[in-house]
Amino acid sequence: MPRNLPEYGKIAIPKEREVPLGAVTPAPVRVQKLHITSPWRIYRPVIDHEKCTRCLNCYIFCPDACWEYNEENDEMELNLEFCKGCLICIQECPAEALTPVHELEFEGGVVRLDNPF
Amino acid sequence: MATEKMLTGCAAAAQGAKFAEVEVICSYPIRPYTAIMMELAKMVANGELDAEFVHGEGEHAQLSVVLGASAAGARAYTGSSGVGVAYAFEVYSPMSGGRYPVQMAIADRALDPPGDFGSEHTDAMSTRDQGWLMGWACSPQEVFDNTLMAYRIGEDPRVLLPQMVCQDGYFVSHIPDKVVLPDVSQVKEFLPPYNPPHPLDPRKPYSHGPQIRPDQGAPMDAQRASAFLEVPKVIKEVTEEFNRIFGRNYDPFLEKYKLDDAEIAFFIQGAHANTCRKVVDKLRSSGVKAGMCRLRWVRPWPTHEIAEALAGIKAVGTIETSTSYGGAMRGGNLIHELRATLYDLPDNERPLVTSFMAGLGGETIWPKDFMYMAEVLSNMVKENRTKKYVYWIGLEPEE
Repeated sequence: MPRNLPEYGKIAIPKEREVPLGAVTPAPVRVQKLHITSPWRIYRPVIDHEKCTRCLNCYIFCPDACWEYNEENDEMELNLEFCKGCLICIQECPAEALTPVHELEFEGGVVRLDNPF
Repeated sequence: MATEKMLTGCAAAAQGAKFAEVEVICSYPIRPYTAIMMELAKMVANGELDAEFVHGEGEHAQLSVVLGASAAGARAYTGSSGVGVAYAFEVYSPMSGGRYPVQMAIADRALDPPGDFGSEHTDAMSTRDQGWLMGWACSPQEVFDNTLMAYRIGEDPRVLLPQMVCQDGYFVSHIPDKVVLPDVSQVKEFLPPYNPPHPLDPRKPYSHGPQIRPDQGAPMDAQRASAFLEVPKVIKEVTEEFNRIFGRNYDPFLEKYKLDDAEIAFFIQGAHANTCRKVVDKLRSSGVKAGMCRLRWVRPWPTHEIAEALAGIKAVGTIETSTSYGGAMRGGNLIHELRATLYDLPDNERPLVTSFMAGLGGETIWPKDFMYMAEVLSNMVKENRTKKYVYWIGLEPEE
């Protein structure tokens, strides 16, 4: 550069923060750890296994496929890494087995984004 | 064999898409760009072009359809004008973020309110920070050429970004001019088929457009920004190769017209450069050392090239043709970037800079308007100061 103007510089993304090009990821993957969606949950659905009839409505209606039936202990299980707290499952539960509980009530609950500031 | 035809800018864009052998086209009518889709629809119906022609429900759908097509690995083409460009806004960032090199033809039209069919660059300029490559043509020939060049640049594996190929509504889009259409073999040599990195394919499945975490946002933004650091190099290479294969003489970033010894210069993009060039000649013949610098690319902004081209000129005026209400200079957009670009020049080489709001709403910028601007610039040189940031052509209070 004849006039010694400033350069644009370069950008270095640290290895541990790299994201695939365009965030395009291999599929299908049952649980895509690269794209965890739970950090915005405000209320968590909590299940009462006594009331639960195992009708699987929550499994069917969850938009993020977070409910799963565990055959071994005959219980519904919630994947907390992907539950966004939409509470559709509570709306759809015919047995009233689900209750919304604020995240602040839990040890290690989602009270902030991963790296807030 | 290369042939010569009289084509409007819209017909030239359609020819460009045909020569590029686009595979998916998504249309929605709004004038003046509609004429591009009318041409392409005919070509598909006549069997001249083998492409899927999808009619979208609106511009948001248009952009979404071509995003999907590009994700599936197709070379995809769409376009719009005015409020249509605005209606598609949500999809611009996902398109560049997902790195889909689709092309969108824009024939500029003023935004509402209320309806105005005239050309104004505010439609496309409003999208300039969404990660798209963006440039303006000033003739049907340049529209055709930019269509091919933009695909080649956007699909380069170092780039992978969508492109807006802009032309002024009416002034370029609807006025026929001589266009040299190349031989197919030239295009084959210049533009290889698109080779998508992760096409949607049931045999090798990929997820496109997933939810990302907040801490992945910055790296993704940086990914796009890094690509933009590579683009100027690619534009240079591709323009050189285009010039070689097609026998043209494009400067990659700027048309520098009689700038070398100029004292005053117009800084411009798009169709009005054609009038401006004539006025520069007229000014020169009357002894005024005038020149013109025409932007071929707005994104990426050719910072160093502009600074080098305008260093030493005494006064420069941007011809805005788009609005930035309440912006730093209270006029258009170009002056903000131009002033920032020239800031680091040494004091004795840094031009005075003002701006002219002209060609808004589709008004013609007449030679007398450029003559008035030249007078303003010459007075700035005489007084060695910038008196006003912005002049509204035809709307200035009498002094």
